[in-house]
Amino acid sequence: MGNTEKRTALHDWHVAHGANMATFAGYHMPLWYPAGARAEHLAPIRTVGIFDTSHMPMLTVKGPGARKLLQYCFCRDLERCIGKQKGPLVDGRCAYGFFLNEKGHVIDDAIVYQLSPTDYMIVANAGMGATLAAHLGRHPADAGADIRDLTDRAGKIDIQGPEAARLLQRLIRDPERFFDRLIYFSFKGGFGECPSSSVVELLDGTPLLIARTGYTGEFGFELFMSLDAFPALWRKVLDEGKDLGALPCGLAARDSLRVGAVLPLSHQDIGDWPFAANPWLFALPWEEDRRGFTKDFIGAAALKKLVTVEHTLPFAGHDPRKIVIAPDTHVTDPRGERIGRVLTCATDMAIDRVEGRIVSLATPAEKGRPEDFNPKGLCCGFVKVNRPLAPGEEVILTDGKRRIKVEIREDIRPDRTARRPIAEMLQ
Amino acid sequence: MKEPRELNLPDTVRYTRDHEWAAMPGDTARIGVSDYAQDQLGDIVYVEMPEVGSAFARGDTFGTLESVKAVSELYMPMGGEVVAVNEALVDAPELINRDSYDNWIIEIRPSNPAEYEKLMTSEGYLEMLKE
Repeated sequence: MGNTEKRTALHDWHVAHGANMATFAGYHMPLWYPAGARAEHLAPIRTVGIFDTSHMPMLTVKGPGARKLLQYCFCRDLERCIGKQKGPLVDGRCAYGFFLNEKGHVIDDAIVYQLSPTDYMIVANAGMGATLAAHLGRHPADAGADIRDLTDRAGKIDIQGPEAARLLQRLIRDPERFFDRLIYFSFKGGFGECPSSSVVELLDGTPLLIARTGYTGEFGFELFMSLDAFPALWRKVLDEGKDLGALPCGLAARDSLRVGAVLPLSHQDIGDWPFAANPWLFALPWEEDRRGFTKDFIGAAALKKLVTVEHTLPFAGHDPRKIVIAPDTHVTDPRGERIGRVLTCATDMAIDRVEGRIVSLATPAEKGRPEDFNPKGLCCGFVKVNRPLAPGEEVILTDGKRRIKVEIREDIRPDRTARRPIAEMLQ
Repeated sequence: MKEPRELNLPDTVRYTRDHEWAAMPGDTARIGVSDYAQDQLGDIVYVEMPEVGSAFARGDTFGTLESVKAVSELYMPMGGEVVAVNEALVDAPELINRDSYDNWIIEIRPSNPAEYEKLMTSEGYLEMLKE
């Protein structure tokens, strides 16, 4: 391990507990623990998985100019981003979107949280804190917006899976009040440099911010806390979660879970190319008639003028076999004509094909999951190709040696639990 | 991840630099991957095996091991014709993680049995791993 690598506060815990470590975005992180990547992929689907995500940077943007600055730099229209009615971002709500550059290319994806009308928190991808802070700082806003980069200065734990609420119930004061009206993409509480008007505390009074967000596509929460509360809380979560089946989960499972949930990885599935023709365009603030945007933002002009684009599409194969992404790896149509490249290829261990249809361990029996269903896993990921393709169309992934036939999909892992009503998950 | 001294490296088989092992008790040889290989790969989710009857030279790719994060090619420690493949690995690829010696991958009729002597002993393989 080089000494330029960063470590989270739990690094020594991971090593002491047998984690297979590797470098990701400059951090020495656990890939998997002794339970193995397969068990860790299945935990958030069957019970609950616990992730050290403190390598993700938090930033705060505060002041009378904060909202206007974010409106300009973040592609979501903060006045029209909540719910089907497209209401404004308010205290206790958050929105997923992208920071684009002038060319309409992606700098990073992020979630923006409103702590108060003049205080916002941004959570972005590992290693991107300084870049985003500089990007925001370069764009002037009226009457000031103070930008702070909290990289490596806070703790973060993701608790994901159907047992997540039952686990949280054991850890916080007044859980009933916490769970009341806690809808998807809302949060309560605050900590350290991110106070809000609501309070969430551990049983010992430690303040936390808990959001109903995540990167697995499954029901769960992201917990934010001060650095000094972090290691003890990690241990407590795993301890309290033992009889619920909680497992610490590494980056391998985090990656395979997010792919099955059709979530992009920054600088791999989204990046330095025009943000268009991909599964995440809901984040762009198009007008109803799609002739323009509801607000001005960095990248808007370029996206409106865009003519030729490449198409980023999800795919799923017919068995667990993947293609390794190497310089020679490419996508062909069924006739063998080269049409693009592979951005991501992973194995979603919770799914398999039953008479051609994709079924998950979470699929109810009445929706087609056989009683003896034991999924071997399916390869899945994203391709970027030079033509639009419809779900159901087949393409071939090849690295020159292996050839894998895969199906273009609109969605990959079915029956995900992220949006389930809290009441259902507490029964 | 196991330390070199924690690895199971029986001296009843011989090893290659690419982490396969071969055992040649008689006319045929069985081939698998070392404990180091399965530990590095993590959970194995798919094993691609050749057709019975196919023939390969030493060093040829004869199959792949698919783990959650990677695809690993399998190379022949010795040349020969495939006389059997371990069918149990089709439904339970994770057997290789459980015991990578009991759970061999293919059985061959070696074309040149003398190639067995060229493979590393368990001590030699351990030395190589420590490098």
